[in-house]
Amino acid sequence: MSAEPETQAEEIRWQKVLYERQPFPDNYVDQRFLEELRKNIHARKYRYWAVVFESSVVVQQLCSVCVFVVIWWYMDEGLLAPHWLFGTGLASSLVGYILFDLLDGGEGRRKSGRTRWADLKSALVFITFTYGFSPILKTLTESVSTDTIYAMSVFMLLGHLVFFDYGANAAIVSSTLSLNMAIFASVCLASRLPRSLHAFIMVSFAIQIFALWPMLQKKLKARTPRSYVGVTLLFAFSALAGLLSISVVGATLFALLLVSISCLCPFYLIRLQLFKENIHGPWDEAEIKEDLSRFLS
Amino acid sequence: MAYRGRRGHPRFAARYRVNRGTLYTYRTRTHNICMVSDFFYPNMGGVESHIYQLSQCLIERGHKVIIVTHAYENRKGIRYLTNGLKVYYLPLKVMYNQSTATTLFHSLPLLRYIFVRERVTIIHSHSSFSAMAHDALFHAKTMGLQTVFTDHSLFGFADVSSVLTNKLLTVSLCDTNHIICVSFTSKENTVLRAALNPEIVSVIPNAVDPTDFTPDPFRRHDSIITIVVVSRLVYRKGTDLLSGIIPELCQKYPNLNFIIGGEGPKRIILEEVRERYQLHDRVRLLGALEHKDVRNVLVQGHIFLNTSLTEAFCMAIVEAASCGLQVVSTKVGGIPEVLPENLIILCEPSVKSLCEGLEKAISQLKSGTWPAPENIHNVVKTFYTWRNVAERTEKVYDRVAGEAVLPMDRRLDRLISHCGPVTGCIFALLAVFNFLFLIFLRWMTPDSVIDVAIDATGPKGAWTQQYPCNKRRGENNMMSKIR
Repeated sequence: MSAEPETQAEEIRWQKVLYERQPFPDNYVDQRFLEELRKNIHARKYRYWAVVFESSVVVQQLCSVCVFVVIWWYMDEGLLAPHWLFGTGLASSLVGYILFDLLDGGEGRRKSGRTRWADLKSALVFITFTYGFSPILKTLTESVSTDTIYAMSVFMLLGHLVFFDYGANAAIVSSTLSLNMAIFASVCLASRLPRSLHAFIMVSFAIQIFALWPMLQKKLKARTPRSYVGVTLLFAFSALAGLLSISVVGATLFALLLVSISCLCPFYLIRLQLFKENIHGPWDEAEIKEDLSRFLS
Repeated sequence: MAYRGRRGHPRFAARYRVNRGTLYTYRTRTHNICMVSDFFYPNMGGVESHIYQLSQCLIERGHKVIIVTHAYENRKGIRYLTNGLKVYYLPLKVMYNQSTATTLFHSLPLLRYIFVRERVTIIHSHSSFSAMAHDALFHAKTMGLQTVFTDHSLFGFADVSSVLTNKLLTVSLCDTNHIICVSFTSKENTVLRAALNPEIVSVIPNAVDPTDFTPDPFRRHDSIITIVVVSRLVYRKGTDLLSGIIPELCQKYPNLNFIIGGEGPKRIILEEVRERYQLHDRVRLLGALEHKDVRNVLVQGHIFLNTSLTEAFCMAIVEAASCGLQVVSTKVGGIPEVLPENLIILCEPSVKSLCEGLEKAISQLKSGTWPAPENIHNVVKTFYTWRNVAERTEKVYDRVAGEAVLPMDRRLDRLISHCGPVTGCIFALLAVFNFLFLIFLRWMTPDSVIDVAIDATGPKGAWTQQYPCNKRRGENNMMSKIR
């Protein structure tokens, strides 16, 4: 619209409406322009030690992978007797099993309605089948070159770390895929061990450390955060000690990785929060906050 | 929907026109305008009808207008629409959602040929979803033509895809002469997305043809109350909210019916609700509607409900108000700017708030405090007209025609300084390649070799000379719109 005489225009205030012909040009910019702009309304304030505590999930998982590889190396070199590993694994599984129920006073068991008999049955079925199939596991990858097996294991273990459910709500998270990749890696590595008994024990150890141990960790973290921190530290140090006995350089690098993940990354996260500029305004697509499925159920 | 022409006004002469007693339009020049967008008839929607109606009104005002779009199946080559409006359907490959693929280069030979042939002076691109529109802007700047861009939609800032598209929009608009938005909210959005100077962004709303949307109170039954919804049934239009509102209100008011026009992937949940609550006789799902049928559906209702979650302008509520319906709508995007408070009930985008708004509308209807449909129509029809839109767009053209197009060196400077070091340099390089390509094309077929097209519209328009009193409402169904 073309401008009216100035005296009049000063009296009339600009309105943010389209239906009225206003005495302002179409490209007029009022003082109220962008007044509804909001920034960072959903931004969260992080506290350093809380973030460090949360990062322990990642540390734990890295350590699990490290411990697994170290144990495999010992088995492969013949420094670790399979019977001994099986015995320790069984004992720690039993302790973990009892601890799992003790932590919440049997509440989770009552909710799921699963009996101890059912647990025993599935454990037996699993052990029998793995034992029965271990000769096949042993010969399964004989025609594949050892380098390919190592490369595949590395990729699978990396994939396990990438897709693992660390508690983030993202599309990439898939605990099934993550577990499957870890088991695949363990089968690959187990097939390079000297005997089929070794292979059987390696795979059952993989199940213990990649499937059962994270479940116990989760419960520990929710129920007794203090002891969880202790367990994480202990676990990390034992993983480091194991790695140190194989390679000093590897252990140093791994220690650096753990320190940077648990101390440096939280620090950077909090620093970068200062630069966050998330823009919100009336143009945002509205969110439906209600649960509409009740109308259809 | 086609424009009803008021013809025979002097064309070249300086013209003084009085509008609403205050506005003086002074015009001495006409423009050769080329509208470019991937979206045009036979595709249907808001952008398509905007381009068509605006072009018709600009032709009426004595400009030469052509439209360039991509080929739709066997609709290719050149077609003429009402009043000699020439449309080029170019053989470009469609990639996704009727938008063409872009390489930034492959369309230059064709578009340059058209721009030269038609002696185009201003390129007017529409819709940020259209790759062709952005390509045309890019080529036009290389050729030294003036550029105008109309943005029809809103975008967020939160997710990765919008971050990327916003960056591309920044590149595309940083050296465009002028930008038009359809509402003030849309202007704020575009200015933020493309990091623009707000002075070069004008707000010109959409319009509806009020003669197409007239009330007819005898078509509705006054013993029952009918709520009408006309929209595509997709998530962004809030169909999920609708599925909560229907059972809530139908249980409360036994004499309440729903008529729902439109088609889309969310239709299934409405059908489920209807099944679950046994509302087959009270909820009618009409399916896809042609634009010419929309009015006949609207006039059967008392209340119009709009549940959109985001909307730059929302023509649907203007059309409904023009038919004399009470409008209940979500308060999102540019909707609060569109109708005055006494003609619309604004609600938060939740089932609870919308139900409250509808109940308020029903009680107003029962107590008779709502104005008669005819009165509402008479108020609304003065709000948005295509003539007004054309007049204001013409001012943008006049302003743009007086501006200089950035020469190559300054354009490169602008790209690098405005779009960030990485993106800026990449697109500056592409602009140089485009320029070299243009020089090559000019060497292959010099501009002087290209024939000048017969002028159908505009100042010595062949069409207007042949049929000076052409007043028929040609191609009536041309812009029928499916929602």
